[in-house]
Amino acid sequence: MFRIKVDQLTPGMVLAQDVLIPRTGVTLLPSSTTLTMEMIRRIGHFNIDEVYIAPMEKSDKEKNEEILAPVMAETHEKSVAVVEQLITNYDTNDQSGYSQAVLDGLVGDLLEQVKMDADLLLNLTHMKSYDNYLFSHAVNVSIISILIGEQLGYSKEELNLLGVAALLHDIGMLKISVETWKKNGTLTPTEHQEVRKHPEYGAQFLAANMPEDIRAVAAEHHERYDGSGYPKGLKGSEINYKARIVALADVYDACISERLYRERLTPQEAIRLIVADQKGFDPQLLKIFLLTMAVYPIGSFVQLNTGEVGRVIRVSKNQPFRPVLSLYYDRKGELLRQPVRLDLSAEVNHLLYIKETLSANEHKKVSQEVAKAFPNHL
Amino acid sequence: MKAEFINPFVGAAYDVIKKVANIEASKGELAIVTSPIRGDEVNVVIGVTGDLTGQIIICLSEATALVFASKMLMNLVTDSLNELAKSAIGEMGNMILGNAVTALSERGYFCNLTPPALLIGKDIVVSTQILKFLVIPLETKEGRITINVALQENFG
Repeated sequence: MFRIKVDQLTPGMVLAQDVLIPRTGVTLLPSSTTLTMEMIRRIGHFNIDEVYIAPMEKSDKEKNEEILAPVMAETHEKSVAVVEQLITNYDTNDQSGYSQAVLDGLVGDLLEQVKMDADLLLNLTHMKSYDNYLFSHAVNVSIISILIGEQLGYSKEELNLLGVAALLHDIGMLKISVETWKKNGTLTPTEHQEVRKHPEYGAQFLAANMPEDIRAVAAEHHERYDGSGYPKGLKGSEINYKARIVALADVYDACISERLYRERLTPQEAIRLIVADQKGFDPQLLKIFLLTMAVYPIGSFVQLNTGEVGRVIRVSKNQPFRPVLSLYYDRKGELLRQPVRLDLSAEVNHLLYIKETLSANEHKKVSQEVAKAFPNHL
Repeated sequence: MKAEFINPFVGAAYDVIKKVANIEASKGELAIVTSPIRGDEVNVVIGVTGDLTGQIIICLSEATALVFASKMLMNLVTDSLNELAKSAIGEMGNMILGNAVTALSERGYFCNLTPPALLIGKDIVVSTQILKFLVIPLETKEGRITINVALQENFG
């Protein structure tokens, strides 16, 4: 239990003692009440200076997350390593070098994790930066594609196929020199042209004994719905459907990933960029993508209309504007003693709304500060 | 219905319309209407609880709703009231009411809101327990947004 000034209260905090109306002894709010903004304003109105707050107790759900998170992080890392093995050892002349069993096993794991707790998984993949972009990117694109596939009502077999196709979408990059795709800086026109060939290379690699969808995803994930993509400039339904899914996942993950030659975009900037370029994507899929990833996706730092700042840690189903937040700063901009979990989709929190997302600079500063202040917090 | 309830809603709506669509709104002629009220094609119903209780119903045509939904969705082309558009309109209603309730708290009324419910269709009629509605029509270049306010003080 700790004492806190009333102007440092945030919704979601829990009272450790009754709050009494001064000079009357009448209970305004009983102990154990979870505060709403209405209550906080009411307390302030009575000129009450300080109240006692209980340490944030973890719900069963949160305790579960704490157990699950390291397991998921480990599986994710393992997946990246397996993909690296698989892709770098991929023998383009010997198609038997491709191991369907390994791929299926890997995607099976990812599927299971997405089903278990997709938000937690996205949270984890987000907070890391990998040296080996190509392989972590493959795993992340697979995860996001599976999430979209789930919304489309795909069967397990279809999800598996989509997941494998997404894992292998950039396999054509292998034919491009390591120096080029790991390059620290802008590509020369020649290098750029070379990189733009990776879909064709990918299709050549995968041509022989692969299901058509897997080959098509490698070949067509840079095609755009309006015909502005490459290599063929295919349009609309000429583009393989799974390739249209992977295109969205690919752009999103590429934007939010740290690369040597540019800063990462915030998750919300990535969403904005995709919507700004909406003609390039299947409009139906884009809607599903926005409902799945949300307008304020996981990892976004946001400010509420009442001033508090927090990070999106969960997306509420079909409520793309009302995620679950972990609040880190009170309305005066002071770091909280403990993060406070706040579900904007909960009935009592509807007078709150997300006013804006933090700019890339603020996002970077705040995420470093938060990581330092709450090192083990998800 | 107290006159002091008018400005928080008008001010909140102006601000949200400006922020969402970057356009100005102007207040039309206020009216007091007896329940039931006739809705428009898209109606956002939000309940108020606390020192004031009642309902706010924000009414707009489908065309106007689609324009604002698109703005809420980063200019996503929005030509039908799909799930995404509906959540955007509900959220816009929420934003207006969130601001209005904040303004009311500065006048000493402390309230909370219920999640928005959307009523969509033609010839919708809404009846409430509170008999008098304050009708605030707001004109914008994207069409009219009418805010119907039925509130009463709660001396609990």
